Amino acid sequence: MGNESTTSKRQILSKSNLRYAITFIFAIALATLPMLNFPQTSYWVRVVGYTGLYIILGLGLNVVVGFAGLLDLGYVAFYAIGAYTFALLAGGHFDIHLSFWLIIPIAGLLASLAGILLGLPVLKMRGDYLAIVTLGFGEIIRLLATNLTGFTNGSQGLYNLDKPSLFGFILKSGTNFYYLIFVLVLIIFFVVNRLDRSRIGRAWIAIREDEDVAQMMGVNTTFYKLLAFAIGALIGGLGGSVFAAWQGSIFPDNFNLFVSINVLCLIIIGGMGSIPGVIIGSFALIALPDILREFATYRLLIFGLLLVIMMIARPEGFIPSRRRQLELHSKSNGDQTISSDIPGEEA
Amino acid sequence: MDINWVNLTEQLVNGITVGSFYALIALGYTMVYGVLKMINFAHSEVFMIGSYSGLFVLNILTNSGLYEKAPLLVVIITFLAGVLGSSIIGVLLERLAYRPLRRAARLAPLISAIGASIFLQELIRLLPDMGKAITGISIGGKFIFSENARTSVVKVLTSFGGAYPKAYPGVLNIGGFMLGDVYIAYGRVIVVIIAILIMALLFSLVKYTRFGKAMRAVSEDKDSAALMGINVDKVISRTFLIGSAMAGVAGVLVGLYYIQIKTNMGFTPGIKAFTAAVLGGIGNIPGAMLGAYILGLAEVIGVQFLPAVYKDVVAFSLLVLTLIFKPTGILGGKESGRRI
Repeated sequence: MGNESTTSKRQILSKSNLRYAITFIFAIALATLPMLNFPQTSYWVRVVGYTGLYIILGLGLNVVVGFAGLLDLGYVAFYAIGAYTFALLAGGHFDIHLSFWLIIPIAGLLASLAGILLGLPVLKMRGDYLAIVTLGFGEIIRLLATNLTGFTNGSQGLYNLDKPSLFGFILKSGTNFYYLIFVLVLIIFFVVNRLDRSRIGRAWIAIREDEDVAQMMGVNTTFYKLLAFAIGALIGGLGGSVFAAWQGSIFPDNFNLFVSINVLCLIIIGGMGSIPGVIIGSFALIALPDILREFATYRLLIFGLLLVIMMIARPEGFIPSRRRQLELHSKSNGDQTISSDIPGEEA
Repeated sequence: MDINWVNLTEQLVNGITVGSFYALIALGYTMVYGVLKMINFAHSEVFMIGSYSGLFVLNILTNSGLYEKAPLLVVIITFLAGVLGSSIIGVLLERLAYRPLRRAARLAPLISAIGASIFLQELIRLLPDMGKAITGISIGGKFIFSENARTSVVKVLTSFGGAYPKAYPGVLNIGGFMLGDVYIAYGRVIVVIIAILIMALLFSLVKYTRFGKAMRAVSEDKDSAALMGINVDKVISRTFLIGSAMAGVAGVLVGLYYIQIKTNMGFTPGIKAFTAAVLGGIGNIPGAMLGAYILGLAEVIGVQFLPAVYKDVVAFSLLVLTLIFKPTGILGGKESGRRI
């Protein structure tokens, strides 16, 4: 037994080294992208920057859906709250011109407050009910953005928003925002990764696997579920602010249900609960269709079909989180596999 | 406060009409939830396809001149077409997207349902484009399909689906009568009568037939039902068939009543119907009907005091309030409460 566990330990070490190496190379490649002298560099920078925005959203929703197992179909609400916070505090609508760096924490805070407000009534619900209520919440936020014309300027949207500045340097080009998003992704990536491996992350997993058991083991389920909602919403709010600053204008239609569905899809395709999965999923779902313009019409059709096939053939996604894979497969294969799989997981 | 009673009564009649639509759709949600313990997210698309297939046949019959001769027959055939279209899609959905996942983790069938919902909506929207793309395949500059086949395929598909909203002929627009000061359109009366007839039919089916008994047994405990010799797969399949058929009736009724249909028409009524099912106690058939009428009335009463655009907000708030204070719903028993 001892011998076996040391070999597998060494294997996993080398595997994780490889993983770090790949991550590092990937990050360097992305960091140098805007410096390359392609004929279409600015187009690529825009596409990858947009993908980065979705990586941020994916990492945020992954905390709620992937880690804590709470199916949230209204994630776009927090994105919208972040975007509108920026647009109202850094534009001509109310003639308030706060600094981007001041608005970012405000937007994150407001979004996570909304997350907690949404979380409180739905805490006792599971799965399906949660999905419907959050979906309704997302729609309510969009309806409010469209109809509270005095506050949000309705479907006319808000435009001519201020550009963020950093020590007097004004971020305005696509490349500037590319790097802003890049840095944000790195920070959020790091934070979420640490969360996953912390006591909090383990509490979320316990809740996801079996809430009653988690509660009996002394996990404060109410607190951790609310925390998942708050952190997920905070990240969504940040993404929204960056989106508004980058675009310079926002409209209620930017925040329709398909944003939520897209983010959820990329998490599922990448592998629920898996952080590298979010990144791969974003590139597969956001960048690829942008590159393959011809298929843009059939994009959603293929998504829909892919989701069904994925659930049947490979419910754990392309780069599954190992725990999640175990969970999905042990349930479908019956109870015997659990006992045989767990030692492999712990080794 | 000054309340306009005539207006309020008209709104109440409106609420009952809308409630009838919700009820027909909600029954599909609640029955499927009863047997599978899952929300059939694609049910709203089943409803939409019912509406589209009804219109497709109605257009053919109107163009052939049958409508002038026998309008009632044409309307009945339209309903049958809607029911047929919905039922086929509903049964296929269960077979292809849900049955392979019956023993999977809880989230899997739900995500599969969302996928199926997106797929079906896009399928109807893109039918003409797909027809054009497939029949337009050419090898070495020569089309595989003849010019004639290409145009006719695209024409048929365009008359079925497409990205643009489609118009139903105003069959139900046949006037109305005055009840005191209140004007009541015949169309509304017809909608409510059809809905109630169908629900009565369903209720007796579930309550008094062998199949109904089997369905109730499956919804109580699948494994025990199987041990008692009930073919669970067959019961589930038939439950989808019946639920989808009712969505098909609702689809044609909505088309006839609101005149215009589009591919995302199922979304809002779908969520409302689900709300109704939860309100009445999900898995409970009379509960779904009751919840639907309560929701329909609550919406019209709500917009008496709030601007009309907040109708949906009223419905969602009602859903959240129900889930907080009585998650089992009005008529829900212990079983549905435990499932939440």
